[in-house]
Amino acid sequence: MTTAAIIIAVAAFALGALLALLTIPILVWLERRVAGLVQDRLGPNRTNIGGFRLGGVVQSFADVVKLLLKEEYYPSHIKNARWLFMLAPIITFVAALLAFMAIPFADTLVINGESLRISPLPIDFGVFWYMAISSIGVLGVIFGGWLSHNKYSLLGAARAGSMVVSYELPLGLSILAFIITYNTIDFNAMVQWQSGTFFGFLPSWGILVQPLASIILIVALFAETNRNPFTVAEGESEIVAGFMTEYTAMKFAMYFMGEYVAMNTASAVIITMVFGGYQIPWVSTQILLENFSVFALLLMILIPIIVMVLIRWMRKNNTVRPSVSTDGGRNFETKVLTFTLVGMTLFIEAILFYLVFLDENFLANALAVTLFQIVVFVVKLMLFNIFFILIRWTVPRFRYDQVQKIGWYYLLPLALANIILTAIVVIGVSL
Amino acid sequence: MLEISIFTILATFMLGGSIAMITNKQTLLSAFGFLVAMIGLAGMFALLESRFLAIAQIMVSVGAIVVLSMLTILTINAKEENLPLEPNKYKWMIFASLLVLPITALMYKSMASAYASFATMETINVKVVGKLLFSEWVLPFEIVSILLLTAMVGAIVIARKDEIPTEAKKS
Repeated sequence: MTTAAIIIAVAAFALGALLALLTIPILVWLERRVAGLVQDRLGPNRTNIGGFRLGGVVQSFADVVKLLLKEEYYPSHIKNARWLFMLAPIITFVAALLAFMAIPFADTLVINGESLRISPLPIDFGVFWYMAISSIGVLGVIFGGWLSHNKYSLLGAARAGSMVVSYELPLGLSILAFIITYNTIDFNAMVQWQSGTFFGFLPSWGILVQPLASIILIVALFAETNRNPFTVAEGESEIVAGFMTEYTAMKFAMYFMGEYVAMNTASAVIITMVFGGYQIPWVSTQILLENFSVFALLLMILIPIIVMVLIRWMRKNNTVRPSVSTDGGRNFETKVLTFTLVGMTLFIEAILFYLVFLDENFLANALAVTLFQIVVFVVKLMLFNIFFILIRWTVPRFRYDQVQKIGWYYLLPLALANIILTAIVVIGVSL
Repeated sequence: MLEISIFTILATFMLGGSIAMITNKQTLLSAFGFLVAMIGLAGMFALLESRFLAIAQIMVSVGAIVVLSMLTILTINAKEENLPLEPNKYKWMIFASLLVLPITALMYKSMASAYASFATMETINVKVVGKLLFSEWVLPFEIVSILLLTAMVGAIVIARKDEIPTEAKKS
């Protein structure tokens, strides 16, 4: 391994860990703010550290402190299996975290003829990895529910287990249709396949090439991650809190965070397989590298506009009514954030200017494109997380029998028919 | 050196998991032992550079078999006092392991020679596996699938509800 390979590997790993873990507080905040948006209220926006509210993100850190300081409680009947009771949420969390690690954040970077994957685990069977590792997660739910030893937890665990077993079939079959279409099980190759066009003008994203399989995939992933409308395992109107009933403090937080990491992973998988991954439509990595100066100039125009809109929006949100006597440090926060944003914009502009007019270094261009793709990936990831959250707060929960009926009576036959159709089309095209 | 230490850790996991699976009275803890043993086995495959087998091992054994067996345990939900008494458990265990000792020796002999070919084998590609399955090994593959189909049909026949006579009684 060369030095460059080691640096890239460490950076990709750090990026993966950051994206999976640091998004948890942001997702918790987003969940509340989007819920507020849907229910026509504001959501948490008052918690601050020295006047810094950051739109309410600080609330998530207050939550962490609360969960850490809560009383640890163990049901008395667990006796000598207490270690397993504690291990159960960890299994769920770690499985979700590991499954995220096979996602490519940017296209392969070529340094001195050596192609390096921008993904925490540089493996070429990412789809398999995701399917195998994410299926471990439900084991933690089952262990936790069984060890809690009350009928609500037991019911919740049984529901979670049977739901995951029945939705793994449509999930696997829809992924199989994608594998037949893309002719690969490598996430990165899938994204590269999607950078092309079909019929001359449509971007060949999975949602347009395989609409049925995409919908089945998204629905099955909603079920796999235990998100609404498939939250039958913790349906609080029927079975208290399902498998989480006996869990308190950090043990509960582990399940809670595991759910968000799983949601994040599911969004990443949906983006990578269906929505073109880190690519923007019609523009492949090759085109970006060949027309780098045009692309950089476009960015130089676009970034200030976006930042200006952002600053205006922030200023509007951070003003207080004139009747309020103290602003609680809001003016100071606005000033600091404005300075930071303007400084960052100037910094990026300077780098782009240097790359376009003063330097003809191909490697620097490739690195800039990689960074741009990572940014595109993160933006898409956040959009999909918001989609998950919006679904949660708009669609009511299914009844348990409805969940099983959708899985076995509708999704499974549709996925099977889709595979046959795909196979016929693929063979017909190749003839 | 690194390989040997990883092997030792994985072997400890496998042996410990297997022993825990047999000796534990509580069924869910046995399932946990089985889970640990299976993950250790997947690690062994990964150590032998055959990533496909490792992932398939996790997908099939952990994702399907352990989850299904745990669902069964959940459904039965046997309490501690309802579990059967096993006074001579350890004697029987030693007796059974003595019984299978010749087969173990045979397996060791055949596997020891197979290891050399394993170590020099190239990384098993998914495409290679697929092509082999559908060309050279197509007959065994189909026979195994018929076996699975038979098992499924049998399970459905057993689990199917009989015609309930209450409807006729009402009318």
